Amino acid sequence: MRNLARVLAFDVAGPLAAICALLMIGVMLEWPLWWVSVCSILCLLIVQAVIVNVVLYRRDSVTVGTDDDKPGLRMAVAGTAAAALLSAAATGYNSWVKPDGAFAADSADVVRIATEVAESTATFTPSDPNSSIDRAASLMVPDRAEAFKAQFGPATADMAKRNMSAQAITISAGLEALGPGSASVAVLMRGTQSAPGQDPSSAVLSLRVVLSKDSGSWMVVDVSPINAR
Amino acid sequence: MPEADQVTQSQGRRTGVVSGFGVASAVLALAAVVAAAVIALMWSGHRAAVSERTYQARSMQAAAEWTGVLINMNTDNVEGSLATLRDGTVGELNSGFDASIAPYREVVKTLRSRTTGKVESVSIEEVHRDPDGQSGQRTPASLAPEFTDRTDTVLVVATSVSENAGAKPTTVRWNLRLGVSDVDGKPMISRLESVK
Repeated sequence: MRNLARVLAFDVAGPLAAICALLMIGVMLEWPLWWVSVCSILCLLIVQAVIVNVVLYRRDSVTVGTDDDKPGLRMAVAGTAAAALLSAAATGYNSWVKPDGAFAADSADVVRIATEVAESTATFTPSDPNSSIDRAASLMVPDRAEAFKAQFGPATADMAKRNMSAQAITISAGLEALGPGSASVAVLMRGTQSAPGQDPSSAVLSLRVVLSKDSGSWMVVDVSPINAR
Repeated sequence: MPEADQVTQSQGRRTGVVSGFGVASAVLALAAVVAAAVIALMWSGHRAAVSERTYQARSMQAAAEWTGVLINMNTDNVEGSLATLRDGTVGELNSGFDASIAPYREVVKTLRSRTTGKVESVSIEEVHRDPDGQSGQRTPASLAPEFTDRTDTVLVVATSVSENAGAKPTTVRWNLRLGVSDVDGKPMISRLESVK
């Protein structure tokens, strides 16, 4: 009974666990060519060791698991299996857990930033004409921020002269696409514009906000109307 | 040294005491079992995340296709389009479909309009605020829980151009919130709302 348990643990489960761990690392890394090569070599070495173990069992009626005089070999088997499985766990953390967590966090981040920028681009207060533009520009990449200020500067000056005000409130925002370094968010807003002596007019505005990840933080690259035609 | 090890091992066997190698093997085996359990948990979590993203992509696809039919309805294909739209719906939207769409069918037939539409944007809604200003996250399911495991809200922005007989072309901008429910693994439209 004791020998059977040792055979199952050290002669069968150990090599099997090591091979499974190596294959699992391949799945986690999505089988890059270098790992196909490394995995093949390591699996072949393990299979060779198993074959030698079987041959020695037929000759001496003793295996690595049952040989009382070679406890070091059993420790080596357990160590190899543990090293392979711990490596697989570490690879899984880097390849699966971290990206999945980042995806969830990025989803919330990009939508929050996109709604803030979209609302700022369609909001205007005559008493503080540059506040919304500055707020939106602070969340944009530098090149785009300059272009944005240059594009909307004259329009805001004109609106300030006419004492017009505009207010935009997000109704819905959704994620069109999200990758590790770029994202696209659709924002539907209700924009209300009012001028002295006129009834306020409101309309639904749909904007696409494109973002990119720069030094770990999301910045807006482009803001454009979705159905402009 | 090997001789010394042999002596130690022999003494260990005789006295029934576990050797240092045995303790180390047990610790390594325990570490291996823990690592295997952690890998199983990570696998399960990752599978769930991938399934979630796959399902959301299918929901977006279903919403885009359904809207594509809606915004490309012409006099020639109105009956076929309406049948396709009805087949893609579920719940109250499906049961009240004929009644709610009847006026639209008559308008299309009467005006003899030719409409070409294009879906411009499809996205999974992450934030929704009530038009009255009360904020909240995600609209509750529109289909009874016994019929569906989940309902996602998909935002679709589209543009269509209608050419009516004897009139100028009219551009219609569609800002839609579609409830997409999982019915036996198939995403179906359970709610249609125009954002105004």
